[in-house]
Amino acid sequence: MHLFNAIPSSALCASLASFVWIGVLAEPGRFSLIEKLLLVVLVAASAALFWKRFGVVLDKILKSRKEPAFRLFPLGRRVWDFFLEVLCQAKVIRERPLPGLAHAFVFWSFLAFALVTLNHMAVGLGIGFLDPAGAFGRLYFWFAGAFAVACAVSIAGLFVRRFFVRPIWLSRPAVPGHEVSYESGIIAGLIFLLMATYLASFWVSDGSVAARVLWWTHTLSLLVFLPLVPHTKHLHLILSPFTIFLSRGGFSQIPALVGDEDFGLVTGKDITQLVSLQVYSCVECGRCTEHCPAANTGKLLNPKEIVLGVRSYLNDLGPTAEELLLGKYNSQEAAFQCTTCGACEFQCPVGIEHLPIIVGLRRGAVNTGAWEDSHGTKLFLAMERNSNALGMSAIERDKFVQKQELPIFDGSQEYCLWLGCMGGYDPKGREIISSFVEVMRYLGTSYGVMRKEKCTGDPARRLGNDLVFQQLAESNLEAMGQQKVKKIISICPHCVRTIQEDWKEFGTPPEIEHHSEFLARHQAQLPHNNTGEKIVYHDPCYLGRYRNVYDEPRSVISAAGTLVEAERSRERSFCCGAGGGLAFLGEETGQRVSSVRAQELVATGATTIGAACPFCNTMFRDALAAGGDNSPRLLDIAQIAAMQLPKPAAKPTA
Amino acid sequence: MKIIVAIKQVPERDARIRIDSAAKWIDLQDVEFMLNESDAYALEEALLLKEAHGGEVIVVSAGPERVGQTIREALAKGADRAIHIESPDEMALASYDALGVAKLLAAAIEDENADLILTGLQSDDLGLGQTGVIMAELLGLPHASLILKIEKTDKGIKVLRELEDGWFQHLELPTPALLTIQSGNTKLRYATLMGIKKAKTKEVRRVTVAELLSDEPAIKIGEPVVLLEKVMLPNKQRTTQILGGTPTEAAAALVEKLQFEVRAL
Repeated sequence: MHLFNAIPSSALCASLASFVWIGVLAEPGRFSLIEKLLLVVLVAASAALFWKRFGVVLDKILKSRKEPAFRLFPLGRRVWDFFLEVLCQAKVIRERPLPGLAHAFVFWSFLAFALVTLNHMAVGLGIGFLDPAGAFGRLYFWFAGAFAVACAVSIAGLFVRRFFVRPIWLSRPAVPGHEVSYESGIIAGLIFLLMATYLASFWVSDGSVAARVLWWTHTLSLLVFLPLVPHTKHLHLILSPFTIFLSRGGFSQIPALVGDEDFGLVTGKDITQLVSLQVYSCVECGRCTEHCPAANTGKLLNPKEIVLGVRSYLNDLGPTAEELLLGKYNSQEAAFQCTTCGACEFQCPVGIEHLPIIVGLRRGAVNTGAWEDSHGTKLFLAMERNSNALGMSAIERDKFVQKQELPIFDGSQEYCLWLGCMGGYDPKGREIISSFVEVMRYLGTSYGVMRKEKCTGDPARRLGNDLVFQQLAESNLEAMGQQKVKKIISICPHCVRTIQEDWKEFGTPPEIEHHSEFLARHQAQLPHNNTGEKIVYHDPCYLGRYRNVYDEPRSVISAAGTLVEAERSRERSFCCGAGGGLAFLGEETGQRVSSVRAQELVATGATTIGAACPFCNTMFRDALAAGGDNSPRLLDIAQIAAMQLPKPAAKPTA
Repeated sequence: MKIIVAIKQVPERDARIRIDSAAKWIDLQDVEFMLNESDAYALEEALLLKEAHGGEVIVVSAGPERVGQTIREALAKGADRAIHIESPDEMALASYDALGVAKLLAAAIEDENADLILTGLQSDDLGLGQTGVIMAELLGLPHASLILKIEKTDKGIKVLRELEDGWFQHLELPTPALLTIQSGNTKLRYATLMGIKKAKTKEVRRVTVAELLSDEPAIKIGEPVVLLEKVMLPNKQRTTQILGGTPTEAAAALVEKLQFEVRAL
């Protein structure tokens, strides 16, 4: 193919006039030696600039503390997560459909363009391997072309969203100069240019000057893009597939402390490789903050900023620094506003696990005595001295057990009914227990309650007090082992979670289930009296996101009335505000999380709010009291089930 | 300042109490133990003084092996070292009266020549309120009891002492001195994981009761001056009296009963 013998500009005009649909990808004519050398030099320069920054990041990640107890195998879950979240972009699309789909098209285009880009560079060196006129070539380039159109439209849409619509979640209002991410604009521009130059190549003649200009534009775009990647949040292009593949698994997996010097995330030296990898993968999308109950009610806490605070720490000081993590880069106050609801970790599309980071930061403060909070201290002392979070005498629980005539567990019964701190000491919690006991008596279930219970340690665990938590967990495990407790039912999702998962650090806990799972299993044997009343169900964080139990409580409610859903329900349920030990701490700043959620539940028009957690129950009780006489009544699903039993509760015959 | 805090490990306050078969003490089976309430405040005062003025805080406690747990807790909260006067079993110290125990404690700490010795006001189990005061007498030290606040002065210390009916008293004492500390005036700190780990490396000097007695022939623990004869649960009674008459008469009768029988007014 010979070149036009004309000066470039007029040739360009001539070429522009020749933008006719050709339908075959035009390639530039043969490259001169100088051009080839130039290409090699530019590629090398781009790669070097890329490595200049990426090498630093990689070094920081690798120099971080090794993740203790990390198990690469079994690979099954990891491969599945990779397939679903990276390749299929499942969470990206599901939780923010339109922008998510746009992003998915951009990502899939990247993948689709793999061979295109390879061939593109090869052409520059004279060794192109895909013939655009050949059968496979035609098909493939058209296929890539379809993606290019989708990508170009998508990236333009995302650009408009970021710079014109300006959703607040994308910004970083607390960081001056970072309200809008201009680097994203540049990257968007480059991506658009890449797609445009590719598509334009279908409209010019093979070997033309236009084709050459398009080729070089495309190449330069690529070579500018590459070194920009590690300097921006687009680092996720490289890191996030690894982040998702290497995640801890499970949800809110708090790692065990190792050895005598480990107190949690105190300084840079405590940051592990996985945490480093995760914070460097953050795309600043703000999905975490968008769903955070604290961030949405005027608190300082912003999950995105927690992650980016650790990233800034690593950027400035590195993974071996001795400065406190909770100081200049992250605020202690913010870290202790977290209810551990998990909405952040659940939403993150790149696999960042916020909860181990936040609890880790709390551990670092509490285990070293750096957290001085009068309510917190009172809570820890109550748990130390009275073995329950409410600081009440065990005699009170005994009185309740006796009054309700609850059988004492002696190893012969099938189930151990765990009262917990709320079930044993709180008036509303006790009502829930009484109702559930009514149901169990009706069913003739064999159960008993332990003579003595100690708090499962949940508030201590979530606040980062490993001393108190260890003492309680070990003591409880020993008692349960001695008394041959095999199966536990609990009315409190916090107890369920802590016993099933967190106690594993110190032994093998018995099997445990939430009472909603028990009730759902026995629905066929229980009487139903559907009044058609509108009942709205609130998904507790520790039952829904933490345990994936969404349908069982709903089956109980659907039997009694018409189930209605709150605006934010199931995995997007909005926290009641009690978790993370916050029920025991002082008054919160800003709006009360419980009020916001209560209003949302009331707004459904339901006459009853169905709860499945004694903490949610307590929080809403106070919030609804402010609403006056027209407030819906608040019932636990155990009470809803018990309401349908014949009065007085009679045992079914045979 | 070198401060010694005498602490006692007592049965937990909210335990369900059962009297043992001999009716001499409570049944210790299934009973959990903890640091005596006012001793915790004494320890907190000592730690606050150390944080303000530097120095060393030493805890001393007498009792069987199980006392080690409470000593470790005190070390975890910030005490620098400990002395454990170890008795061989549960019953060995049971026959000692306050004078006997005070003699042991005083003997164990005499050579330390502390600037300040703090004890709790009284123990949660016996509630005698004497041990600290007797120790002061044995050691020949000035003392003050029911102390809420301690300030270091040029000449010694200035303390705030609680009297009855909402009255308080300021006292100035030279050091060395002994103070018994009342509960409730400061915020207690929680023991941290870091504290417990550090406690593992802190010195706990163990001396058995027998060794102490043989080393110090001067302390002759004679027959106890006070004998615990019997322990029993308080008799809870519920009687109902219907007060009749006109409302005015009933009200007057009620006031009289509340004032002189129930003594609630």
